[in-house]
Amino acid sequence: MKRIAPILAAAASLWVPRSHAADLPALWAERAKCTVAVEYVTQTELERRPTVAYGTVVDSAGTIILPSAAIDLRVAPGQIKDFKVYLPGDPEGSPAEYLGRDAYTGWHFVRASPSIVGRLVPVTAFVGPGAPREPDLAEEVWGVGLRNKDEDFTPYILQSHVALVQALPQRTAIAQQEVAGPGLPVFDREGRFVGLGASSFGQTFLEFSGAERGGSPIMLVNLEESSAFLVASEVLPYIGRIPKNVFGRPLAWLGAYGLEPMDREVAAFLKLESQSGAVVSEVLEGSPAEKAGMKARDIILGVDGKALPRFRPDRVVVDYVERLIAARAPGDTMALSVLRGADRLELRAALEEEPRLVREANRMYFEKIGFTAREFVYGDAIARHSRAGELSGVVAHLVKPNSPADIAGLRPDDWIKEIDGAAIPDFAAAVAKLSSIEKDAFRAETVFLVSRGSDTAVLRIKLR
Amino acid sequence: MSGGFDRLLDSVVRIDVSEVNFDEGARRIDASIGSGVILSQDGLILTNAHVVGPRAFEINVTLSNLERVGAKLIGWDHWTDLSLLRINLDDAKRRGLAFKHAEFGDSDRLYVGETVFAVGTPHGLTRTVTRGIISNNNRYFEDTEGVDGYETGNFNTWLQTDAAINPGNSGGPLVTEDGRIVGITSRAYLGANNLGFAIPSSIARRVVAGLVHDGSITRSYIGIVPKALQDLEGFFDVATNTGMLVDSVESGSPAALAGIRAGDIILAIDGKKVDGRFPEQLPSIENLIASQPVGSTLALAYKRGSAEASATLVTSRLESRMGEEWVSETWGISVRKVSPAFARENQLRDDTGVLVIGVQRGFPADVAGLSRGDIITKINQSPVVSLDVIKAIDAAYGARPAPTLFEVQRERRVSLIVLKP
Repeated sequence: MKRIAPILAAAASLWVPRSHAADLPALWAERAKCTVAVEYVTQTELERRPTVAYGTVVDSAGTIILPSAAIDLRVAPGQIKDFKVYLPGDPEGSPAEYLGRDAYTGWHFVRASPSIVGRLVPVTAFVGPGAPREPDLAEEVWGVGLRNKDEDFTPYILQSHVALVQALPQRTAIAQQEVAGPGLPVFDREGRFVGLGASSFGQTFLEFSGAERGGSPIMLVNLEESSAFLVASEVLPYIGRIPKNVFGRPLAWLGAYGLEPMDREVAAFLKLESQSGAVVSEVLEGSPAEKAGMKARDIILGVDGKALPRFRPDRVVVDYVERLIAARAPGDTMALSVLRGADRLELRAALEEEPRLVREANRMYFEKIGFTAREFVYGDAIARHSRAGELSGVVAHLVKPNSPADIAGLRPDDWIKEIDGAAIPDFAAAVAKLSSIEKDAFRAETVFLVSRGSDTAVLRIKLR
Repeated sequence: MSGGFDRLLDSVVRIDVSEVNFDEGARRIDASIGSGVILSQDGLILTNAHVVGPRAFEINVTLSNLERVGAKLIGWDHWTDLSLLRINLDDAKRRGLAFKHAEFGDSDRLYVGETVFAVGTPHGLTRTVTRGIISNNNRYFEDTEGVDGYETGNFNTWLQTDAAINPGNSGGPLVTEDGRIVGITSRAYLGANNLGFAIPSSIARRVVAGLVHDGSITRSYIGIVPKALQDLEGFFDVATNTGMLVDSVESGSPAALAGIRAGDIILAIDGKKVDGRFPEQLPSIENLIASQPVGSTLALAYKRGSAEASATLVTSRLESRMGEEWVSETWGISVRKVSPAFARENQLRDDTGVLVIGVQRGFPADVAGLSRGDIITKINQSPVVSLDVIKAIDAAYGARPAPTLFEVQRERRVSLIVLKP
């Protein structure tokens, strides 16, 4: 948080208050400079796929935030590469660095190369004095959109009025029409920053076929523009949460799996009329929740002595609890009030570092056999109803179509427990074994024992 | 044709079945037509389990003289897809109805190319005879379809014939020229030309004997899923025509408890050498295990890696994954008890609960958000350990409707739902 203060100071110098409705095109032209398009490539064993997302510049060091949905969380950071930043209207991109994702906000952070930092203006330059204000109902708001790459990401203006402000659980304004590209800023009539375009709010609309009378309507989703935005108070305090590494570590972990909202009917049935709550589907083995004495089917009613607030819709409470966890650090304590049957219990969980995630797992592609072996991590054990202590074997992460592995019946997510009759204790052992198999030019076959759901299968992979 | 064949024609019946169906969250009636063959003068009729099963509540058979008479289910065996009915003899006698019965032939002596006839009711066309040959007398196929959700087992190979077999032929006999039953026609590849399959009479005879005796067939279970060793002898270093590969061991099963693991090669069962080289050889091995009395002790000799070892295990009873079904008309929901086999297949903690198999639109269960595939684990905080639990609460609700709390598991997520009048 230390780095925010000088940025805000710099911002103040740029701020020119206006008493009357300012010249909108001029405001827009100035503010479009805090928006960029970010292009990156997802490179897997089989393909290279470019993706474009929109981002907002948040500081004078050229730090850019992208919405959560901009990068698929299942992809390993090592597989997303060649980040490039494009200024609006400029066909030439310049290289950028991916800094990682912040678990609390969900934002991905990217840093532009020093060569273009001077041409960027942080959104904090348009904050204005005092606490960020929440836009009023029916207030006119406007934002920036960016066209596609073939139009050099030309900026354009979107304009609307606020229809509703709601806690989801972040304060979110919903406008009457699209008001900004997802991840791009929204301003008020005076040019003050009032929010950031939300990414999961693509407007849907129906289109009817003109050629065919009575033809079925087609549902279209506008992914490039959003009608909802996080209000400024949900954005500005967090723009300094730059991840320390691409994995976003440290990550606080409780281990209460599958939170499900308690709806109003259930609350009334349990005589908790004024309460909100989240049902814990499972308590993960070895987790802080388990150590704190939490049990499956406990209902979390409060955190740190405060009752969980009510949201519309009910399911927002799950995000709320998850954000309370993500806001903390491993080692922090979380006091939980839970309902178990008819009893209310107070539990204290000491949060821990989240076990290694699938996207952090080591992986290696074996060309001749035709699959990627991936380290078996805690989450894999949970997904397979297996004991967390038994982290052995490897997972078939990807199976190349028509490869020997594919023909033998290996499927993605198969858990490979034995190779050629020998147990595979860990990833390193699998790599050693598979490498020696691939090196042996005379080798005719290899036999995998795989586990799949409640069954196993012995697969014979013909190499010649 | 022979006199035996004429007699056979007089013993084939059309079967009209009305059965209860719970799929839609309501009690619905389905009607279907199949074929069957009379086996005795006391009115036993053999047909397929997928023609007549326990859901049937009205069974009418049409005799060769076109007279109709009622029948009831004596027993069924979905593992082999066979059912046994008995004609309502009192009614038949009162009305002076006469019928003939057919005799079994020996399916083990059929040769490929031998002429056979299928007799039945394809598409409702009563007493249709089609002719063909035995195309293969030892056909292996894994039937993944089952019988209305009930498993069929690999306890036999099948007879394949090119005699035309169509929907409605099911349960009718496949006979030789002398009119003897060598198979019960039960499957055909739809959209293919003349690829029909029949259950061999050698199996049917044994099943009939068991069903007459106690209405069901009891089999032993050890929990091994076998796989043909074909081409893997070299890898496992076993002599050709020796051993059966264990592809999978079901958790908690007798084989698992005895320490048998996937990848082991079973060499002998109770000292009897096992040869599972080809898929066609697997059903007889599975049948050998299944035909042991439940609770038998079996000695398995097996090979793991280069070492040979032995294990003894005690067989348990083979149970279906299908639990009993029931429908609540008040909540508009049909359910099936979670069975131990279903719980194992779906990696559930235990067999508590009922599986939702149908929801009727607009009824309380639908309004509260229950859907097909959900597992109801608790109602009003009582664990649903049997259908009786849910029936009792439903009855109380029917008498005095009041909000009712359901604990529901969907995939691995547990949620609470209130059903309201």
